[in-house]
Amino acid sequence: MTLLESLVTGLDEARRHWGQTLLSLLGLVLGTASIVTVLALFGGQAALTQKYLDEVGGVGTLVIQNRDQPDSPTARELASRRLTWRDAEFLARHARTASVVVPGWSRQLAYRTGGRSFEGEVVGTVPGYAVINDIRPLAGRFLTDLDVARASRVAVLGWKYADSLFGAAPGALGRMVELGGKRYLVVGVLVREEFRFASWAENALEYRNERAYIPISTAVLQHSGEDRLDFLTVKARAAAGVASAEGELRSLLYALHGVEDVDITPSGGNAGKQTGQFLLLFNFIFLVVGAVSLFTGGVVIANILLASVVERVREFGTRMALGATGGGIFAQVLAEVLVVTLMGGALGLLLGAALTGVVGHLMKMPAVVSPAIALLATATAVLVGLLAGLFPALRAARLSPVEALRYG
Amino acid sequence: MTALISARGLTRTYRLGRVDVPALRGVDVELAAGEFVAITGPSGSGKSTLMHILGCLDTATSGHYAIDGEDVSRLRGKALARVRNRKVGFVFQTFNLMPRLTVEENVALPLRYRGGIARLERRARARRLLERLGLGDRIGHRPDELSGGQRQRVAIARALIGEPAILMADEPTGNLDSQAGAQVLETFDELHRAGHAIVLVTHDPGVAARAERIIQIADGRIAGAA
Repeated sequence: MTLLESLVTGLDEARRHWGQTLLSLLGLVLGTASIVTVLALFGGQAALTQKYLDEVGGVGTLVIQNRDQPDSPTARELASRRLTWRDAEFLARHARTASVVVPGWSRQLAYRTGGRSFEGEVVGTVPGYAVINDIRPLAGRFLTDLDVARASRVAVLGWKYADSLFGAAPGALGRMVELGGKRYLVVGVLVREEFRFASWAENALEYRNERAYIPISTAVLQHSGEDRLDFLTVKARAAAGVASAEGELRSLLYALHGVEDVDITPSGGNAGKQTGQFLLLFNFIFLVVGAVSLFTGGVVIANILLASVVERVREFGTRMALGATGGGIFAQVLAEVLVVTLMGGALGLLLGAALTGVVGHLMKMPAVVSPAIALLATATAVLVGLLAGLFPALRAARLSPVEALRYG
Repeated sequence: MTALISARGLTRTYRLGRVDVPALRGVDVELAAGEFVAITGPSGSGKSTLMHILGCLDTATSGHYAIDGEDVSRLRGKALARVRNRKVGFVFQTFNLMPRLTVEENVALPLRYRGGIARLERRARARRLLERLGLGDRIGHRPDELSGGQRQRVAIARALIGEPAILMADEPTGNLDSQAGAQVLETFDELHRAGHAIVLVTHDPGVAARAERIIQIADGRIAGAA
């Protein structure tokens, strides 16, 4: 008896009792559906995160920041000048894994214009920042090399600040704004940036709408008087990879500072953290439901199979009398399980896909059932089924022909 | 004439809890090719046990047994399944057809277990045999669409498909009315005339009388032969 024939026998068996088969499959179907849904939502979220990373500069972008100094710093930590303009130049010249190094300076300063005033972030940087972070002006322009060279008092406003300071974002162009007590000419207004991990989640890029960019030289001259920086943005060479770039930057900075006092993180590293945490809980619940359903499904299938084996003891006895070996009977029963669980997996997949659509629609989240997910879920269902079928199949295979024939 | 079946000193003891219950207490059986033998005896006499051992469904506790010159008394599991498949054809009182398979598929089943025979070939052989037994118009039917007598003749076809050395029938007319039973016995007679060796277990003296030879079993021993 070939495996194919065992399969045909199994399929026939399942078709014959399709009502019973469906019932026994319910647990398996629900379990598979649940797992499919979770994985699809996970996958959708992962795709979104990828998109977000692309939005904030792509996966090759690293941000170097000063690490908070400990309460009792060591002599080396006290001696380090931390991130400086000099570091930026040194890295730009010597870091072979970095293609672009952009210095950054950041302060909370008072914004003032006419009657309105508030505290907000001001970022001092160079033109390369716009390239790395994919920043586009809505009106006017971004900073230029000339601005940096001449330490001009010019500012490029984020969309929201331009909007709230001047009533309408494009209207800010050519107007004056006071930042930290100094007057700046607004030479550009940026496009409004928006990215949501779910329709109900906050705009993950809102911080970009709530800042102004000024030349790094101006920032140092007008507001701090020393060349200390707050961060460096580095674009790693594609060939080098992020990990090796991170290693090189770390060791170069260690050599410059004499102590490890910076953190290097991928840009957008904690993207959608809150949304993610909510989803994690949601997914956890679904996964537990899925696992329990699968387990229950497995137990039910094992039970029904055992009953069906008992019901068919005489059939197995007859088959043995006709020349079936114990192994043949084992294969037959297991093949039946395989057919049944494959059906369960397939049905679960369909239900899961439908459920994914509904949940994705209701929660306004992207979710896609990929082939990998489909394969994984079906494989899980089949594995559960095979485990459940193992014991009944063994029992059938171990029957003595005479006792089996005499049974019932 | 060489012996088709040669059994010496067969015993079979069942263990019921802590008690050994002897079902066969030393039986010798010889059967020549083409012989038609009936085994009779009251229920519990051990006639079914003897047939199970002769048919390789069970193994003797002690004694020697050879079919077609092959010693099978030490065979177990897979090897025994092979002997059942090739040397023995079974006919049961309750037909034991697979309800979900067609008549043709039922008859071809032993060839599936034998392996190495293409599906079309198996079907062709099953059809030829069914036609020979007057069931040519029933090949696509399911067993529950047939009369009892027809079912038993399908079962006989199934027993014959593998061209076994010997046909074993356990009360083949037990579940049939007298007319259908007579027809089935007629089939056995025809097979006997065609040269098949047959062992038929029955407690019905009328049925046993159709055989060339009767072996009477009582209390696990041969009580008489005629």
